[in-house]
Amino acid sequence: MRNGHADQIARLIEPGRVHRSVYTDPDLFELELERIFSRAWLFVGHASQVPEPGDYITTELGRQPVIMCRHRDGSVQVLLNRCTHRGAKVVNERKGHASRLVCCYHGWAYDTDGRLVTVPVPEGCGEGFDKEAFGLARAPRVGEYRGFVFASLAAGGPSFEDHIGPMKGNIDDLVDRAPDGELALDAGMHRYVYNGNWKLQLENVLDSYHVPFGHASTVNKDGVQFARREGDSKGAAVIETKKKETAGSWRDRKSFIVGNGHGWTSNTTLDDGKRSSPAFDAYKRVLVDKVGAERANEILTPRLHNSLIYPNMSIMGLNIHVRVIKPIAVDRTEVTIYPIRLCGAPDAMNFGNIRLLNVTHSAASFVQTDDLESFVRAQKGLQSSLTDWVDISRGLGDEEPDRDLNATRGLATHEMVVRAQYKAWLGYMREAA
Amino acid sequence: MDAVVPAIDRAPFEQFLIHEAALLDARRFRDWMMLFAEDGTYWVPAVPDQQSPLNQASLFYDDRELMKTRVDRLEHPRIHVQTPPSRTAHLVGNIVVEPSDANGEFAVGSTVIMVEYRDDTQRVFAGRQQHRLRRDGEGFRIVQKRVDLINCDGAFEAMAVPI
Ligand code: FES
Ligand SMILES: [Fe+2]
Repeated sequence: MRNGHADQIARLIEPGRVHRSVYTDPDLFELELERIFSRAWLFVGHASQVPEPGDYITTELGRQPVIMCRHRDGSVQVLLNRCTHRGAKVVNERKGHASRLVCCYHGWAYDTDGRLVTVPVPEGCGEGFDKEAFGLARAPRVGEYRGFVFASLAAGGPSFEDHIGPMKGNIDDLVDRAPDGELALDAGMHRYVYNGNWKLQLENVLDSYHVPFGHASTVNKDGVQFARREGDSKGAAVIETKKKETAGSWRDRKSFIVGNGHGWTSNTTLDDGKRSSPAFDAYKRVLVDKVGAERANEILTPRLHNSLIYPNMSIMGLNIHVRVIKPIAVDRTEVTIYPIRLCGAPDAMNFGNIRLLNVTHSAASFVQTDDLESFVRAQKGLQSSLTDWVDISRGLGDEEPDRDLNATRGLATHEMVVRAQYKAWLGYMREAA
Repeated sequence: MDAVVPAIDRAPFEQFLIHEAALLDARRFRDWMMLFAEDGTYWVPAVPDQQSPLNQASLFYDDRELMKTRVDRLEHPRIHVQTPPSRTAHLVGNIVVEPSDANGEFAVGSTVIMVEYRDDTQRVFAGRQQHRLRRDGEGFRIVQKRVDLINCDGAFEAMAVPI
């Protein structure tokens, strides 16, 4: 698959199935880095991670190291973390503060907007050496919505609005829960890696089919999961123990797609109205004060379970967090999970969210670890060459339009959302850079 | 004349830590949980020198109630991430005991190394741990156990068993 001809690639995806090489072929993985991760709008970070001028974080877009920093004029810059002299990575810390970004090798120093300001021993530079031409490369396109910063490493392609526009409502759903209308990703992070392809995590984010089986170890003998949300006395009913099958609330749950590979799942009906704890009640009072009772009720009515913003991030609406998926190799992926602080909410409410996220999504959590095990086993199983196809046909043909939401709707235990991801995947992959 | 500081006999503390490690290595997680006081907590921070478990993410931060959910899950027949189960060997050393404070609680520092083998893969966890211990009859109860792993802010493959 070295050259990645469009028709060759197209043969890997059929209406209800995907060829296993999409998960296992290292050449295809290289093509993905080129055609998806060097092109698509990717989530980089959140503005709250760099509140003051000179604050920075470093990360990778695909395999490419980048710096996201706050410049003196208040703008958030996305710079390639690669010295324009001989190529060293300039900033080595995961986060920090600096007025100049100084390369460790020969000391070239850059301003926080990437401009080259100092070259030691300048008389060695040739006559026409122009510092202006040696600034750190900048992500050609950067877009921000309510603090969420995205960048594209390609100059052309769908606009930020075209790509992110259909998911703005999902970002709003989360941000509006903050009484101050703002989020902060300042409560640390959970980081894990697994020996499996990046798309396994992506597909899992909106998969409601696996819960009673994949997470059996979190379900008690009454078929109910532990409480995962501040103010809940117990978790969702997952299994109908008498009939020994998936509980109705999961079977009836819907999923939605809006193009571009994005999608979301609607929430289960977790003891609505009964949600209460000292922390939650105090939070609710603050929210009502800010936005009024009617709007507060609207905000607190669970609408979304998980949202996927293709191809590298998701937002969870239940035990709230932002998740970022980073491909490392065809069979290795890193995932970062950020707890969210709702600005203006009482500390106790935010602390409750952080505490429950440890339980569900730390590297030592009760929930995510069984998912990771499934990804690792999928990667191992897919080494088998006698069965070439991965089946993603559940609910094929059952999709229906949802005119209110301007989306396409299916059952969340079906695989419409996975098919939508591969439609977007093909869109990127068929087109040579 | 210098004040006489009674020397603390390290042996009972050392014995306690060895017993705790043995329970974990034997996968006797429920018995391990019972070593904790009713108000006891188990904390594994996710950054070096983490100041608080409340306002920052942690790898583990369990009170007794969460610990029970964790142990129930570890005993569940369909915990995939423990199929097959982990085998571990804990080594505890470099023990430093501080005299009891006003509450009669002891602060015991030690270095812990845990080697874990599971599903054809072996890995190592290491760090400094701090136990706050309260006397309970002849023995002790854990008021807080904090483990600072040297790679606490790294990216981990799934962890299922406590350190
Ligand atoms: S490589 Fe950066 S200064 Fe030489
Ligand atoms: Fe899951």
